[in-house]
Amino acid sequence: MGLDYQTILWNKHKKVYDKLILAFMLMYLLVFAGLTFTFNAQTTIETLIIRAFGTLAVIMLHIILAIGPISRLNTSFLPLLYNRRHLGVSMFLAAAVHGVFSMIQFHTLGNVNPVYSIFTSNLDYTSLTNFPFQVLGFVALIILFFMAATSHDFWLKNLSPSVWKKLHMMVYVAYALIILHVFLGAFQQETSPFTIGFLSIGFVTIVSLHLIAGFNEVKTDTKKSEKDESNWLYVCRTGEIEEDRAKIFTVDKERVAIFKYEGKLSAIHNVCKHQGGPLGEGKIVDGCITCPWHGYQYLPGNGQSPPPFTEKVATYELKLVKDKIYLNPEAFPEGTEVKPVNC
Amino acid sequence: MITVINSILTILGIYFGIGLLFGIYFFLAGARKIDPIINDSKWTVRLLLVPGAVATWPFLISKLFKTEKQ
Repeated sequence: MGLDYQTILWNKHKKVYDKLILAFMLMYLLVFAGLTFTFNAQTTIETLIIRAFGTLAVIMLHIILAIGPISRLNTSFLPLLYNRRHLGVSMFLAAAVHGVFSMIQFHTLGNVNPVYSIFTSNLDYTSLTNFPFQVLGFVALIILFFMAATSHDFWLKNLSPSVWKKLHMMVYVAYALIILHVFLGAFQQETSPFTIGFLSIGFVTIVSLHLIAGFNEVKTDTKKSEKDESNWLYVCRTGEIEEDRAKIFTVDKERVAIFKYEGKLSAIHNVCKHQGGPLGEGKIVDGCITCPWHGYQYLPGNGQSPPPFTEKVATYELKLVKDKIYLNPEAFPEGTEVKPVNC
Repeated sequence: MITVINSILTILGIYFGIGLLFGIYFFLAGARKIDPIINDSKWTVRLLLVPGAVATWPFLISKLFKTEKQ
């Protein structure tokens, strides 16, 4: 937990992750250049840069969009989810290189403003097949700029988590525009079946992953739970929760995180007060529930951040019948002390 | 169509033009008014945040007015 803002929030793991991103990008560009000069030696350096960075950005965008549903289907991918922002900014930089070089290559030779030229060099806006695809790429790049520019924690806090989230959900609009941009570009400028083939596979994969993860979440959230005579809800057996980890359980559309630690069980509201992170996807570190997003911490017994921090979340009462965990669906006020259940 | 394009690009130009001016103000003073915690951070943090200020200036200006009123 930190009080001030850092230029880039790096730790040991994030540095490794960023080095891997950089290595992947450099490797891809080198392989792309090598293949291009081997099979199409007359390609100009400008065209190579445009194509290499454009395809790199599209691949990275697919990885970014796949990380969310994959980590919901398999929690071992969660570290990728928490480090996704740096990947997003790197993808924007690759897309920006593609965009700037495309503008230089195709729109700076005349005496018309290059941005104006993007919109007016092809005015066939009513055509489906000859639609000016560069406009779609330009709009997508503007959206990606908004997202990359507001990726710092300062913006998450000061735009408010809900505005920030809405802004960053625009990635799906950008993705749709990019898919159309590449499809139309490939259709109008080249006849290679590979571009359309790879993009189709990517699109189907992203849509499928989102649908599967979405159905799974709906199934979990709407799962009817067994009630006991006092209307407490059955959660799971103690053995189903790993040590220092939590099980997320939904009560009246609110998610509750039930943590197991030091032979005890405690339940708190799943949403971190800092920026809405999923506490139940975090773990117990130094006796505190630690949010996986920014490391904000809460004591499991009372849902309060340790001093000098003042954040509080609602707590819930648990009981154990043999090894079956039951939860009282009525939440206590934020920060209420609740005796942990021994298990 | 040309009229529509001209209008869109003019609005875009004005938006980012004002955004750039606001970005300079944000770097020099605005960031501190919006979130005083940034006083504890290096100037490089404010510099890194300038593109975000250029992009979201209408939201930040309304936030600044609300802060001033309080």
